[in-house]
Amino acid sequence: MGKHMKHLEEAELVEHYYKESANMGEIDRHLKACPVCAEQYAELCRILEAVATPTPPARMEDYIEQVWQSIDASLPVYEKPRSSWMRYHRPLGWAAACLLLVAVTFVAGRRWERKQASSVAVAVDPQARQRVVIVFLGNHLDRSERLLVQLNHADGNDLSALPLRSEARELLASNRLVRQSEMQAGNLKVEASLDRLERLLMELSNEPDSLTEADLNRLRQEMNTDGLLFDIRVLRSRVNSPGPEQQSAPKATKGVPI
Amino acid sequence: MRWMEESDDSIRRAILSGDKEAYKVLMARYTQIVFGVTYRITGNESDAEEAVQEVFLRGYQSLATFQGRSSMATWFYRIAANCALAVVAKRRPEAQSRIAEENDPERSEVQLADIKAGPDRLLLSREIEATQQAAMGELTPTERTAFVLRHMEDRTTEEIAAALNIAPNAAKQAVFRAVQKLRRQLAPLWVNT
Repeated sequence: MGKHMKHLEEAELVEHYYKESANMGEIDRHLKACPVCAEQYAELCRILEAVATPTPPARMEDYIEQVWQSIDASLPVYEKPRSSWMRYHRPLGWAAACLLLVAVTFVAGRRWERKQASSVAVAVDPQARQRVVIVFLGNHLDRSERLLVQLNHADGNDLSALPLRSEARELLASNRLVRQSEMQAGNLKVEASLDRLERLLMELSNEPDSLTEADLNRLRQEMNTDGLLFDIRVLRSRVNSPGPEQQSAPKATKGVPI
Repeated sequence: MRWMEESDDSIRRAILSGDKEAYKVLMARYTQIVFGVTYRITGNESDAEEAVQEVFLRGYQSLATFQGRSSMATWFYRIAANCALAVVAKRRPEAQSRIAEENDPERSEVQLADIKAGPDRLLLSREIEATQQAAMGELTPTERTAFVLRHMEDRTTEEIAAALNIAPNAAKQAVFRAVQKLRRQLAPLWVNT
């Protein structure tokens, strides 16, 4: 045996000694079979086992403190880190903030657009506006006509039972609105009639609780309530009649200052 | 100290949150390991102490980069091996020992007794120790560190490679070259015994 056997390399013996050889069993078998390699390996073991592991000398009790003192000045204090949420989610936070901003801008934009659209619609659609005015004006003229009829036909017996003053006060507020609206619209004749009505309503509102027949007669004469009633009826008939041309260009009527 | 019962990671987080003093606890835990390995690699106390300071300084500075993939003991161990290697490399030119003749008054290095003149086993042991020191001085810093980690600290090739920042095969070769050199120096001591 051993004549044609390939001997182990020194590196293989060292590997085997430190138990890092990939084929431990095979090398063990070879060492048993090959006296040359076995002798080499025995010598290696003898030498390495003789290499002592130095024992470090004991340290003084305050050794750690000494080391600390020697390095303390070179150790900076770490700054407290930001919260882990911020550290790990800051990019996410920015993204969320951007998304929120976009969403708020979008919603605000939509609302603004809608508001603009509705206001523009009202402003742009004169027919709708005109319808509103006509309805309101018609109602106002109806009530004014009834008040004037009551005023013209009232006598001294039932004056206390008539709600002339309270009705006049309510109509006064609405008459101002209607008159201003007509003035802005350029309907100066209508506005003039409503102005006369307003003066009557104001006088009637300011009359004392105990309205006498003499007071009524004075009002009828000073305010020409018969003529005013006629004007109001003409106005009401024009407001209620269909056809825009009639409203925008009323026919001249004899004795009617509109 | 209030951190004595805490885990390494808790202490690490405390330090990184500004509690600098907590680092003393980590130092207390690992000083023995660090001093042991630096002493074996450098071969003397003063160099080991210098390396220990460097280890704990470097450890503190790179604490934020510790990711917990290995234990903190292993982490300090690697830094210690690296710092000790640096100290050895720095000292080597002037600290290199040589085997000297017994009666050479010009040399203060380790001297070997003549094996033939002293067959006593105790004397042999002393001679082996002296020769070992001298032979270790002949190793390059990498060979010396790799051999200490392999032979004295019982570290695997992979651990040595990680500590020295070299490839595992290079670490294995460094250990092999160190053993070869030691064998050449120490083998004559057994001749004719």
